[in-house]
Amino acid sequence: MKGFCGKLLEIDLTSGKTKNTTISDEIVEKYLGGRGLGARLLTDMVPAKTDPLSPENVLIFLTGPLTATMVPGSSKFVVITKSPLTHGWCDSYSSGRISVELKKVGYDGMVIRGKSNYPCYLRFDSKGVELREANLIWGRDSFETEKMLRESEGEAPVGVSSIGPAGEKLCRFACINSDLYRQAARGGVGAVMGSKNLKAIVVKGKKEVDLHDRKRLIELNRENYQRAKKSVVAQARMKYGTPLTLNITHTGGILPTKNFQFGTWEKALGKIDSVGVYKSTISHKACLSCFTHCGMITRVSEGKYKGSELEGPEYETLGMFGSNQLIDDLPAIIQANILCDKLGLDTISTGNVIGFIMECFERELISSKETEGVEIRFGDSEASLAAIEMIAYRQGFGDILAEGVKAVSERIGKDSDRFAMHVKGMEFPAYEPRGAFGSALSYAVSPRGACHRRAWPPAKEILGNYPPYTVEGKAEMVKGLYDENCILHSLLVCDMPAKFIPLSQDDYSKYFEAVTGEPVSKEDFRIIADRIETLIKMFNVREGFTRKDDTLPYRTLHEPLPDGPAKGQFIGEENLNRMLDEYYELREWDRLGIPKEETLKKYQL
Amino acid sequence: MIIITNVFGTEFALKRPVTLDLESPTLRDVLVALQRHHEGPWKRILKEDLSLQEGCVVLVNGRNIASLEKLETEIHDGDEITFTVLAAGG
Repeated sequence: MKGFCGKLLEIDLTSGKTKNTTISDEIVEKYLGGRGLGARLLTDMVPAKTDPLSPENVLIFLTGPLTATMVPGSSKFVVITKSPLTHGWCDSYSSGRISVELKKVGYDGMVIRGKSNYPCYLRFDSKGVELREANLIWGRDSFETEKMLRESEGEAPVGVSSIGPAGEKLCRFACINSDLYRQAARGGVGAVMGSKNLKAIVVKGKKEVDLHDRKRLIELNRENYQRAKKSVVAQARMKYGTPLTLNITHTGGILPTKNFQFGTWEKALGKIDSVGVYKSTISHKACLSCFTHCGMITRVSEGKYKGSELEGPEYETLGMFGSNQLIDDLPAIIQANILCDKLGLDTISTGNVIGFIMECFERELISSKETEGVEIRFGDSEASLAAIEMIAYRQGFGDILAEGVKAVSERIGKDSDRFAMHVKGMEFPAYEPRGAFGSALSYAVSPRGACHRRAWPPAKEILGNYPPYTVEGKAEMVKGLYDENCILHSLLVCDMPAKFIPLSQDDYSKYFEAVTGEPVSKEDFRIIADRIETLIKMFNVREGFTRKDDTLPYRTLHEPLPDGPAKGQFIGEENLNRMLDEYYELREWDRLGIPKEETLKKYQL
Repeated sequence: MIIITNVFGTEFALKRPVTLDLESPTLRDVLVALQRHHEGPWKRILKEDLSLQEGCVVLVNGRNIASLEKLETEIHDGDEITFTVLAAGG
């Protein structure tokens, strides 16, 4: 099939041996690529109950059939593994040149297994694969590492992905960094890479991707570029980026504030929202292969952090380090973002864990005696920055925080689990679900833990025509959103241009056919999405997850939201159970959330 | 009565109080009054017949009017009316 290379590179870091694995057209037809292909591979390659940080776990980097083409948002890759944070399924997405270079070197992805007995980095090009000693870069941050590796490669474009000290220290929410400011952030993929003694991956390709109909692809891009130019949504997104979302979540009452105690924060307005970030923006940036430049480069122009510059901060970081910690100082948030990127931490989980510990301080469940003298209190940006370093290097109390909010609350006890905001061990992102009930279901059923990327219910419940404070119709709504993104994440393209140009599944069918030469219908996509989501569910069932894991924290279920448009709302056990029943039924899973025999047969699993 | 208008996405005018000489109005009445008597980006968001320009939304107290009573939604003193675009994720 055109667009696909038809093979994966498998590397065993224990033995140093490599081999090529063929990916058949039949597999592509059933699973596309990205998330779908990863579901098949992880299920087949990782034995049940494998320790995620053991050599037996695999770290899979995958592209999709649309990667390295001209399709908007197509320089994406996904890292798939068993998560050290949740001990279940993990798929973590990122932009990065490495996705394009992988295709150009002739691979759809790579599977890394085993463990090197020395710190190493992996380098490959069309001439072959090398494992090199990483003595000079081990211990360095992601920015230094990437710069050093790029310099050693000379002028030619090269894909580099690396981990920072947090990954080396096996922090359970360590990320993998690419192109300085892009992260496969969630679920601890960086820790899995660190557990294998693998500091970085460098890929340099030469070949062009073999396209079925280049002319048609260009024609589709021209049409869609014109649509983007006319779209008020695309223009807003390209001008203001994801910080625009903060104005929406605040208005809708779903902005996480003070560790998800509240849903609005007036102090954010004009400071850490789209208005505030826009004032600090010095340029806009597009990912490779994308004509929608929704990234923003910001620079701090005065004060303590004067001169600090990064691509971001994105909404999630503004939410988790801003309102959720009661910090309205944008330069401090930019600094926190830079620190997380450099040290290799997921800003969502890190911000969440720090917000949680701030509440523990406020409730006097913990004191500075246990945190090496650092008082980590709401609104204190200095303490927040100090906590980031403690976590990344596992210094003192940071060693406990690096285990994730679920483990920290278990350690502290004293009913702190009631406000440890996570699902299956993965920390909530920056949406308060009590003000949009579909978000609650979306978090609860997510196989990787609390996730905002599998579905974005605020599009329907705040900005759309679904009443937000009811469970009515939410299972169907969430399944539809899940299936849509499942296809985008398997093709594998960024779901942002799809939302704001916007591009429909019919548009992606046209792109798919132009790239591969194979027609695919909306109905094919629906079946593929059901197959993939069912297979991922089976992976988690195999790992011991049950219906009781598809749940929400006590705060979300039982504490009424005290402010904003959603004042008085909470989810409640009964509502959650109803949504779960309906969702499982739509998926053709049983009442325990286990796929039925006939469902497995239907989807050829 | 005083309402709060909140504009973002197309341009910014956050949380501005607007005094209207209306009693027990619907959203329709408020929008007509805003168009006639108050400066704002109304044309970018609303068509002449008060239907929405493509990609734009109006929220009343944080909810899309499509999930309320649309233009017949009752507006009360202190209500917040937001004019924005269908932003997409974060």
